[in-house]
Amino acid sequence: MNRWVVVARQEIRDLWLGGRGPTLVFAFSVLLSAMTYLSATNRGLNFLEQREAVNLTLQVAIAVGVLATMVVAADAISGERERHTLEALLLTPVPRRDIALGKLVSTLTLWAACVVVSMPYLWVLGRSTAVLGQAVVLIALVGTLVAVGLTGVALLVSALSDSNKTSLAVSLFVLLALFAPTQLPGMPKSWVGDLLVRVNPLASGMHYLSALMLNRHTWRQDLSYLLSPALTVLLTTTVFVIAAPRLIRLTRATS
Amino acid sequence: MVAIEAAGLSKRYRDRLAVDDLSFTAEPGEVLGLLGPNGAGKTTTIRLLTTLLRPSAGTFSVAGVPASEPGRLRQRIGVLPESAGYPGQQTGREYLLYHARLFGLPRTEARRIAEDLLDQVGLAERAGSRIATYSRGMRQRLGIARALVNDPAVVFLDEPTLGLDPAGQRQMLALVGEIALRRRATVVLSTHALAEVESACSTVLILDRGRALAAGTIADVTRSVGAHRLSEAFLALTEAGRP
Repeated sequence: MNRWVVVARQEIRDLWLGGRGPTLVFAFSVLLSAMTYLSATNRGLNFLEQREAVNLTLQVAIAVGVLATMVVAADAISGERERHTLEALLLTPVPRRDIALGKLVSTLTLWAACVVVSMPYLWVLGRSTAVLGQAVVLIALVGTLVAVGLTGVALLVSALSDSNKTSLAVSLFVLLALFAPTQLPGMPKSWVGDLLVRVNPLASGMHYLSALMLNRHTWRQDLSYLLSPALTVLLTTTVFVIAAPRLIRLTRATS
Repeated sequence: MVAIEAAGLSKRYRDRLAVDDLSFTAEPGEVLGLLGPNGAGKTTTIRLLTTLLRPSAGTFSVAGVPASEPGRLRQRIGVLPESAGYPGQQTGREYLLYHARLFGLPRTEARRIAEDLLDQVGLAERAGSRIATYSRGMRQRLGIARALVNDPAVVFLDEPTLGLDPAGQRQMLALVGEIALRRRATVVLSTHALAEVESACSTVLILDRGRALAAGTIADVTRSVGAHRLSEAFLALTEAGRP
């Protein structure tokens, strides 16, 4: 059996049986419940067209799901350093790339759980329209693309941090910095705004979702907006493939 | 074939030389005591020989595997690091099973080895308990069991008795003796405690400020400085160059 599978299996056990995974998914579902309830009943929000309500829930699900996944990824290496458990792992013959891959795969199970948990909420809001199928495909494809890329970034930050607090703070700052532009109205209307959206893997992914859900664009029409999340996945993967032995070490310092 | 061969090994951290031109050998089945005051370079030496750190200069081989093949080298060694951490939520059995699988053992074989080792280190009854509930001595014994899952040719133990009560220390030293005797493995035992070295080790390497001050059997090292006991020899060697 590939050794990354052994690492991933144990990490998955620790994540889900150790209680961190269920806690984060529970918090995620509470937030989504509140969102869905407000969308369906609040007098202000329920004037939203059904498509808009589904789009809003979809965007919140992706943002919060990615946040939960990044929180776990940010702990994956720096946390082990801090708890002094990384040394035993590094003393095994498992290649560093396999350690990184095993940790990435296990972390992404949290994203997968968030996608599954989102389904009933999307169904409640979009069950009587054709938008439901589209929303499910979008969260599974675009959401996963964004999640893999940003989880890779958080894992990279974790590998470069000696302190778990630093790793968590930097990862959350990165997410916040990427998320903030998605809340600004009419960002892509000027060429500068459009460029800022296109280079931001989260904003461009969200823009693609909105274009399909709200503006009823075709799947191909705004495909170029997915370049940024796809490049983030490619870049983080390449960094780990090439530099894993230098990144996953006992200390971040040059030792 | 020698079990460990180091030649001109050095490790520099910016302007500080942690290990300076260290050369020594250890034979199969030998229990080598790595002695030195705080900051002597004992842990750095172990981290170099176990491929966790890259040397700034010099070469070495462990169990016949050169440093240029770290993956293959780690397959042949077992290590109990200084102040090792343990995942509190795993049970002792799970922990050993996981590490045996990381060394490439099939599941059934890994399970058998985990059970055998838990029995050997006296943790069979607590195998199903979470590590968070283990005492320090139990964790150290679990760490030794983990260091043996791959049936290593060379075992590195970094301060294995640190923080243990006298009974725990005696138990740990008995385990060290068993590893060398039954498994015919070379043991490198890093410690501050001279009494431990005298009771458990056949040879000794004394380090200070990264340099080897003396190496050989305890009798040879003691005699070389005209002392009667290892403790006298150790003090004579390590305090000679101090202001």
